[in-house]
Amino acid sequence: MIDVCDLKTYYSTGFLCRTEVRAVDGVSFGIKKGETLGLVGESGCGKTTLGRSLLRLIEPTGGRVVFDGTNITALSRKDLRRFRPRMQMIFQDAYASLNPRMRVRESITEPLRIHGLEDRAGIGRRVRELIEMVGLNEEHLNRRPYELSGGQNQRVVLARVLALEPEFIVADEPTAGLDVSVQAQILTLFRDLGRDYHTACLYISHDLGVVRAMSDRVAVMLKGRIVEIGPTADVLDRPCHSYTRRLVAASSADRGFSRPAPCPALPGSPVMVEVQSGHWVEAAAR
Amino acid sequence: MGDALLCVRGLKVGFPTVDGVVKASNAVDLTIQAGETLALLGETGSGKTVLGMAILRLLQPNTRIEGEILYRGRDLLSLPQEEMQKIRGREIAVVLQNSGTSLNPVLRVGDQIAEAITLHRGLKGAEAEAAAVELLERVRIADPARMAREYPHRFSGGMRERALIALALACSPSFLIADEPTRGLDAVTKHEILALFSEINRGRSVLFITHDIEAAATLATRVAVMYAGEIVEIGPVDAVLSSPAHPYTRGLLESLPARGMRPIPGSAPSLIAPPSGCRFFPRCSCSVGRCETEHPGLVPVGPGHCARCMLYD
Amino acid sequence: MPGRNAALYLSLGVVLVYCAVALFAPVIAPFDPFVISGPPLAPPDAAHLLGTNDLAQDIFSRLIWGTRATLILGFLGAVVSVVMGTTVGIVAGYYGGRIDEAVMRFLDVMMTIPFFPLLLVLTIFLRPGIYVTAVIMGLLGGLGSVRIIRSQVLSLAVADFVVGTKALGARDGYIMARHILPNVLPLVGVKFVTSAQHFMLVGIGLGFLGMGDPNVVDWGQMIERASKNGGIVLGLWWWLIPPGLAVTGISLALAWFAYACEERINPRFQVMRV
Repeated sequence: MIDVCDLKTYYSTGFLCRTEVRAVDGVSFGIKKGETLGLVGESGCGKTTLGRSLLRLIEPTGGRVVFDGTNITALSRKDLRRFRPRMQMIFQDAYASLNPRMRVRESITEPLRIHGLEDRAGIGRRVRELIEMVGLNEEHLNRRPYELSGGQNQRVVLARVLALEPEFIVADEPTAGLDVSVQAQILTLFRDLGRDYHTACLYISHDLGVVRAMSDRVAVMLKGRIVEIGPTADVLDRPCHSYTRRLVAASSADRGFSRPAPCPALPGSPVMVEVQSGHWVEAAAR
Repeated sequence: MGDALLCVRGLKVGFPTVDGVVKASNAVDLTIQAGETLALLGETGSGKTVLGMAILRLLQPNTRIEGEILYRGRDLLSLPQEEMQKIRGREIAVVLQNSGTSLNPVLRVGDQIAEAITLHRGLKGAEAEAAAVELLERVRIADPARMAREYPHRFSGGMRERALIALALACSPSFLIADEPTRGLDAVTKHEILALFSEINRGRSVLFITHDIEAAATLATRVAVMYAGEIVEIGPVDAVLSSPAHPYTRGLLESLPARGMRPIPGSAPSLIAPPSGCRFFPRCSCSVGRCETEHPGLVPVGPGHCARCMLYD
Repeated sequence: MPGRNAALYLSLGVVLVYCAVALFAPVIAPFDPFVISGPPLAPPDAAHLLGTNDLAQDIFSRLIWGTRATLILGFLGAVVSVVMGTTVGIVAGYYGGRIDEAVMRFLDVMMTIPFFPLLLVLTIFLRPGIYVTAVIMGLLGGLGSVRIIRSQVLSLAVADFVVGTKALGARDGYIMARHILPNVLPLVGVKFVTSAQHFMLVGIGLGFLGMGDPNVVDWGQMIERASKNGGIVLGLWWWLIPPGLAVTGISLALAWFAYACEERINPRFQVMRV
């Protein structure tokens, strides 16, 4: 479904002495239809930039993103707009993701109106369908974001994103800041909906417990590069890269599981090595 | 209750708002012994931060507070402002929530810490600055002399948290209130902050306010679970987290991703018009008839372990 | 809060009264402001409530007719200022990059030229009528508001909800009109009111310096005429003072209105975190 090849996104800062920040530095992976790939790493490793670069919300500096056979990095902005409904993003702060002056009903009908998909009656029906799907009711439609809780706002965002029935969703820490019980509600909803619609998903998080529960495979990111990628259970139970081991050790929920497998220590420039079927590790980062 | 450092009795806090009085705290009783770490576990809207702030009387002026807060036998709620100012920072200190404005963005970090030192320890100028740098070193900030001269926006989330801890410990208080020190931090940083916390607070009494069950399990000896402005369960941390008595505590643990991620249906009640009877009743799966009408009290369910539930009454 | 609302409605009421006076001037004014209607320099009496000026024109009628000039300068100027400032500010803030830099450098140069002297020079050379003057004031004055609006747009343009709407596939124009503009409107509204107040005062200044439109009755010109023709020396307070009071009145009312509006616009949605 999604194939990422050597994606690079660099930022240049400063006016007089331009310094380059390599937020995403040559990242490659693929996500199949209906599969969820978790992306973990500490703050500042580039995961948010990667998520946004995939959707070209930030323009990548180099590399290729192929979506369902089409190279979307090469498309013009006009052509890209046709692809937009098929790939969507969910942001971390639900409250910031909604226009504070728009009511819930307007926020959910907006995507439908932008793409001219439905007429008035059709829109009304679709909106009711959507809010039922995400667990809200009619009375919420007339509210504004500040009148709803964080969890409720995130449901509105979900309804808005699902309105166009996307095939690929990038979820950037959608439950960071939410309480544990609300998080459980939103994540279960997300997982069930993903299953029903066979959406491919990139789930970005720094919480290993959540990633373990939500993803089929997981990629570990460090300083703009993916250092380990593989099936979730493999990577989190038998981490190979030293950084992954640090991450796993820090997540107390996983304490007691890590039995590091012996890894070949290869010298030279970073290269991915397959230590087990499907489980790749970046060897000896210099 | 011989050597209880802090004793809260019948604390009621209400915020008058346009829609009515928000009863953030409903007759809370709490005791903290010298040298123990009590975790106050709860979600948004449970009233835990209000409780912490009420101890140091850091709430807004129009808040209605009733009850007693006894610190070393003195009722903090009835002290005059000057007395209270002597206690704040020196005897009882707060590590505030790490928000964008917990540190003054236009003052250097070192100056802000030095301010606390000057206020209570009487050191001035270069001496205070040196003490501030020493504190930054104690909280394991790399290159403390240089970082002390930097502004808060140059500090990462984890470093800001360390600076806030340094600020609170400037005068070696006997009692520390920590408000969500691990909120918003990624897993590795959280681990480091918790390690720092337990090492630096040995022998100190700590009230650790958090929503993070893992963090509470790591640091605390006792834990109190709050829901809708009340303490619904309290006891030794192992007992409460391994054999929770109250259905809310159980639900909370089960909604952790590692333990099944089963959500608790519904949402927290409004604190303006909380349900009469048990406040958790609308969401509880093991309620009995009485739960709807009678308000349960805290009853013992084990050694030092109490729960506010009709099932045990 | 009753206090705030009282300020709002009271000031709004005063502004509306001025507008009504300007609108119904032909009906309210007892005399045509340009005709000779009695003895010159006559003190107030029953027919001429504020007496007559040196050309034997009724001052009271002139005062009423003068409201039009002031309000036109103020409001038309404010409209031009706000429309220009908002459009440029939104485009510059939204697109950023080269467009933004170009606009900012242009502004930097323009802002070094003081507003009033430039306005004066232009009016001397162009000798514009009242409407053109208002437009010129608006264009020059709008430069200042570009900065303010641009800064708010800068933070809005990177807000998640704007990025999210882009991700939905919306066009830039749609986003700017439907998402950015409504969130900038409160700022724009306040700027409108303060600009109007400013331009009214500037208009009076121009009139006082003799740069006003001679075909129009203008409070500034009235004050100028009064002081030049012995209003102060002869103690003709009924000629000299009323225009000044009138402009002070509308100026205060607008300032008060802007202040009361700002109170209501600021986010009252402070959610308490317990």
